[in-house]
Amino acid sequence: MAAVIAFILFGIGILGLVLRRDLVIKLLALGLVNSATILFLVSIGDRPGARAPIQLPGDVAILADPLPHALVLSAIVVNFAILALALVFVMILVERYHTTDSTRIEQEMVRETDEEEKPCS
Amino acid sequence: MRKDRIRIIAAIGIVLVFAGLVSVMHLGSAPDPSASTRFLARDLEETGASNRVAGVYLNYRLFDTLLEVLVFSVAVLGVRHYLQQSEGMELPDLSESEVVRTAVIFLTPLALLLCAFFAILGHISPGGGFAGGVIAASGLLYVAIAYGMRAMEKRLNPARLVRAEEAILLALLAFVLLPMVFGRTPLSDLMPKGTPGQLLSGGSILVYNILIALKVLVGAWAVIAAFAQHRGEL
Amino acid sequence: MVARWILLALLPIVAGVALLQTRRLSAIIGMGLFSLVLAAVYLLMHAPDVAITEATIGAALVTAIYVLAIRRTGRLTVVADEAPGLIAREGDEIVGLEYEILDGFARQVGLDLSIQFVPLRRVRWLVSHQEADFGAGGMIPCADDDETLTSTPAHLETGVFTFPAASAAREHSAPRELPDYEGYYADLLEHDKDGTIAATAKALDLARVMSLGRVGAALEGLDRLDGTFGYAFLVSKRRTSLQRDFAAYLRQLRDSGRLNELIQRHFT
Repeated sequence: MAAVIAFILFGIGILGLVLRRDLVIKLLALGLVNSATILFLVSIGDRPGARAPIQLPGDVAILADPLPHALVLSAIVVNFAILALALVFVMILVERYHTTDSTRIEQEMVRETDEEEKPCS
Repeated sequence: MRKDRIRIIAAIGIVLVFAGLVSVMHLGSAPDPSASTRFLARDLEETGASNRVAGVYLNYRLFDTLLEVLVFSVAVLGVRHYLQQSEGMELPDLSESEVVRTAVIFLTPLALLLCAFFAILGHISPGGGFAGGVIAASGLLYVAIAYGMRAMEKRLNPARLVRAEEAILLALLAFVLLPMVFGRTPLSDLMPKGTPGQLLSGGSILVYNILIALKVLVGAWAVIAAFAQHRGEL
Repeated sequence: MVARWILLALLPIVAGVALLQTRRLSAIIGMGLFSLVLAAVYLLMHAPDVAITEATIGAALVTAIYVLAIRRTGRLTVVADEAPGLIAREGDEIVGLEYEILDGFARQVGLDLSIQFVPLRRVRWLVSHQEADFGAGGMIPCADDDETLTSTPAHLETGVFTFPAASAAREHSAPRELPDYEGYYADLLEHDKDGTIAATAKALDLARVMSLGRVGAALEGLDRLDGTFGYAFLVSKRRTSLQRDFAAYLRQLRDSGRLNELIQRHFT
C-alpha cells in the first residue's frame, strides 16, 4: 500500500518536473521524487506487528528492519545537499536572465549562442 | 507551441511506461524477513547500541556515513562559494516584533537542547547527529530572524566558523585513525561496548554522533547564513 | 492502522496541490506540509529516526532555505510620487513618460511591473531599504544623496525653479477641475489654493511647473537655477545588475529614437 503511494508520488514528481515551467517548482518536484524513493525504501522494512528498531536485549518483539532506515538517513541528507546547491545555481541563473521561466531561459541561451556564432563584422 | 506539446506527451508517456512496469511488480508480498531477523539477533552484542539504526550506520556502515559527511561538506562549500558572487539583500530585521523575540527566547534554547539530546543519546533513543545538527542550526536561524543577520555576524564570526568547520573535520579524521595508535584497524571501536541502554555503551558511536552533530550544525548554519545574506532577485 | 492509510492517501493530494500552485511561495509551503505528513507516515511505519530526520531536514531546513531564496515573485516594484506628465493616474490607468519607460523595461527583463504611489519622502526610504526596485515620479538626483541610493542615467532634461525669498502670498487663484492626485504635486496644489505656494515650495522642477501653470496656479517670479538637471529613477546602490540592465535599456531607447518619440508625446 505504501509502496503504491510511493510510486504515485514518483509519477507526480516526474510530471511536475517536466510540465511546470517555473524553475523553483521544478526543484521542488525533484525533491518530491527523492522523497518518494525514500518512502518506498522505508516501506520495505516494515512488517506486520513490528515496533521501532530500538530495543533493549530484555524485550522480545518483532522489530522493523533497521537497515533501510540507515540507508535512508544518508539519502535524506544527501538529498538536502543536492537541493541546496541546485537552488544556488537557479538563483544565479535567474539573476542572469531575470526570469524563472525555463522556456524563456532556453530561448535566451539559444539567442546568445546564435549571436556568438555570427562572425564579427 | 510544438515543443511544449512534445514535452507534455513525452512526460505522460514516461509516466505511463513507468506505471506499466510497476504494475507487474509484486508489491503486495512482504519481503523475506529472515535476513533481518538473523541480523537483529546478533547486532546487540556486536555493536552494543540499543538503537539498532545507529548501530547500522555508525558501526557496520560507518564508512558510508563518513563519506556522506564529506558530501555534505562539499555541498556547503559549493553553496558558500557560488553565493558569494551574487549580489544580494540582507534578511530584514524583524526585531520590532515582540512576538518574534519572545518566541525566540524559548525556542532557541529548546532547539539547542534537542541537538544535545540527539547527539549524546543517539545510540539509545532515536535521533542521531544529523537531525540534531539541523535542529540546532534552525534554532540559530530563529535568532537571526529576530535580531538580524548583522547581530549574528558579530557573535558568530564567519571566518572563525570556517576554521571551526575545518577543525571538526580534522577531529573526525583523527578519531577515525586513532585506533591505529593502539594497534587496531581504523574505524574500530575505542570506547567500551558496555551494556546497551547505558550512556557509555555502543563503542565509538557516541563520539561519532557528537562529532557529526557539530559538523552538521556548522555546515547547515553556513548554508542558512549564505542564503540569508544573498537573497537575490528570485 | 486506519490513520496510516488516511495519511498515505493524503500524501499524493498534498503533493499534487502543492506542485500545481501558481505562486512560488504557496508551492514551497505546500511541500513543507507534505514533508510533515511524510514524517508522520514514517512514524506510523515504525521508523522514528527517519521521521525525525525527515521532519527537520525536509520540513524545516529545505523550506527555510527556499523561502530565504525567494524574495519576490518576479515583480519589478516601483514606488512613485505622482507627477503629471511623468507618471500619474488617469481614471483607472497610469500614464506618463516614466511609466512608459518603466513598462518597456519590465517587459524586456520579463518581470511584472507594479507601481505604488507614495509620498515623496517614503520613496527614498523604500528604495533605500530595498523594499522597492525603483523610485520614480520626477525625481531629480541631488549631489548629496545618501550612501545607499544612486540614480539611473537621466531620461529627460529639465530645469529647476525656485521662488525668490520674499514673495507675498497671493490671493486665491481659481484652479480648474483638478484630478485627484496624491503626492508632492497635490500638496503644491493645496498650498496654491491657500496662496502659500511660494513659501513652501523650495525647488520645483519643470514638469510640475508646467502643469501647475496649466491649471492656473500662482507662479510668479520664478527663478531658474543654473546647471543641467535631469529626471532619473532612484535605485539602490547594491542593485548593480539592475542598474546595468536599465542603463542598457535606456541607451537602446535613446539610440532608436523612441525616447524622443515618447517625450514628444507627453510633453508637447
